[in-house]
Amino acid sequence: MTRNVTAELLVLRKRAATWILLGIWTFLGVFFAYVVPYALDPEDAPGGVEQFFPESLAGTLLAGFPFFGGVFALMLGVFALGSEYGWGTLKTLFIQRPGRLRVLVAKLAALAIALVPFVLALFAAGAVASYVIAQIEGAPISWPSGWLLVRAMAAGWLILAVWAALGVLLGVLTRGTSLAIGIGILYALVIEGLLSAFADSVTVLEPLTNVFLRANGYSIATALGASTQNIESNGPGSFSGPFVDSPQAVAVLAALIAAFAALSALLLRHRDVA
Amino acid sequence: MNGLGDLVIETRALTKRYGDSIVAVDHLDLRVRRGEVYGFLGPNGAGKTTTLRMLLGLVRPSSGRVAVLGFPPGAPQGLARIGAMVEAPAFYPYLSGRDNLRVLAGHARVGEDRVEAVLDEVRLTDRAADRSRTYSLGMKQRLGVAAALLKDPELLILDEPTNGLDPAGMAEMRDFIRSLAKGGRTVVLSSHLMGEVELVTDRVGVIRDGALVAEGTVAELRGRAGLRVRAEPLAAAARLIRAVPDVDEVTSVDGLLDVTVDTARAPAINRVLVEAGIAVSELYAQKASLEHVFLELTRSEGESS
Repeated sequence: MTRNVTAELLVLRKRAATWILLGIWTFLGVFFAYVVPYALDPEDAPGGVEQFFPESLAGTLLAGFPFFGGVFALMLGVFALGSEYGWGTLKTLFIQRPGRLRVLVAKLAALAIALVPFVLALFAAGAVASYVIAQIEGAPISWPSGWLLVRAMAAGWLILAVWAALGVLLGVLTRGTSLAIGIGILYALVIEGLLSAFADSVTVLEPLTNVFLRANGYSIATALGASTQNIESNGPGSFSGPFVDSPQAVAVLAALIAAFAALSALLLRHRDVA
Repeated sequence: MNGLGDLVIETRALTKRYGDSIVAVDHLDLRVRRGEVYGFLGPNGAGKTTTLRMLLGLVRPSSGRVAVLGFPPGAPQGLARIGAMVEAPAFYPYLSGRDNLRVLAGHARVGEDRVEAVLDEVRLTDRAADRSRTYSLGMKQRLGVAAALLKDPELLILDEPTNGLDPAGMAEMRDFIRSLAKGGRTVVLSSHLMGEVELVTDRVGVIRDGALVAEGTVAELRGRAGLRVRAEPLAAAARLIRAVPDVDEVTSVDGLLDVTVDTARAPAINRVLVEAGIAVSELYAQKASLEHVFLELTRSEGESS
């Protein structure tokens, strides 16, 4: 399996789209988490000016993962499988030795590894931004604990992973990229967004929202320091609850990853490859 | 269907249906022997590629049975010994030819030294570092063949390998296929180009509307074409020949009769004509080109009636 994963990492590493997504994600992540709100009116920010300081690094950055980061991870996941249909390379892979499921597992493993630099790059860029702002404000530099940072990065990775797995499923389902990304964004914006908004007034929707990526992602983020006020004012990705316990959220996200991977495997295994 | 003995590929009543109305492959019985170059012929849409995809496990049969190297299609044990190029070779456009092969070698679990060996074999080493999107069609075909050779396979399946090649490229590919067949390797070559098949194959199967309509050596298939007869009066001779058993068709061409019949029937035809007082000045076996045979075999029923 190591050689299969190495081969898939080569495919991801040499693809320009991977690096473009990583660059845009890092730039916009810092831009929207630090530059824009700090430039507008830092005192009016939901978490006050303190949210831009290094001590709030984990929460401030994690608030951007469940929706904004999710869309990037979704695209990465779609590209990983959907593009193979467009290029016709899936058949080239399948007639090598490994078998369809092995190819899928290798692709998922490579994708999981590729998400690590996405998390690390944003945290590194966020650390620089928060340090600069603290210097500008003359505030003392106080970093969050290493344990909190590790947990925050692991949480960020988990949130991205579930979206990437959804992207893989959509790529396989639609056998392409455009429709898959369209459906993914539609789901993120319209289905989760609207149903989450209605859940406050329509109680029957509440149990449903508990398994949404958005609800569970934000629940983990708030457990690790993200401000609920910040999340409520998070533009199209805003979320006002209900939040769930973080262990439950982790379990739900892990279960969703498994479910998306299993569905992808089922489709890949049983459908003809043109 | 294990224990195939000398058979590398065996299908029984292999069928692929799409919905209720489209039958792409219809009860196909195919047998490819170890070490031969088997030409799989048929017009576009006859079911060649669908059949090859079923052999490779890319498409699931609707019914029937398949064994390739003794394994079900798509089984890793079988795929480890098969090299294939199905339709247009497909590669990651942003990767170099070498990196594309490295990816495939990783999945096929073959050593990276094979990458350089096959690049050299198809003479792509000079351009191996360039992105595959910059390759000409001929170079992509060669990269496809290189990919098929990575595993040093016992069985090589090549679907239309000369598609898009210029005459020089086609001749080069033919030589290459001939060289691949040396050393006991089995090659299945799908094509609708008779010239290339005639020159490189040991046996040929002809598929029409998803069904195998003829199978044999090129010589055997060409032998089916029949006789050419010059006789006077021509119309009476044609009438008499049509009445001879086993004669499929008699056509008049430039004062001669083309008779579609087994050439072994020549004495019987001659006797019938002579006994009827017809002056037979010429009667000889007219071996058709494989292309002629192919056109005869693959002509739709509507056209032949």
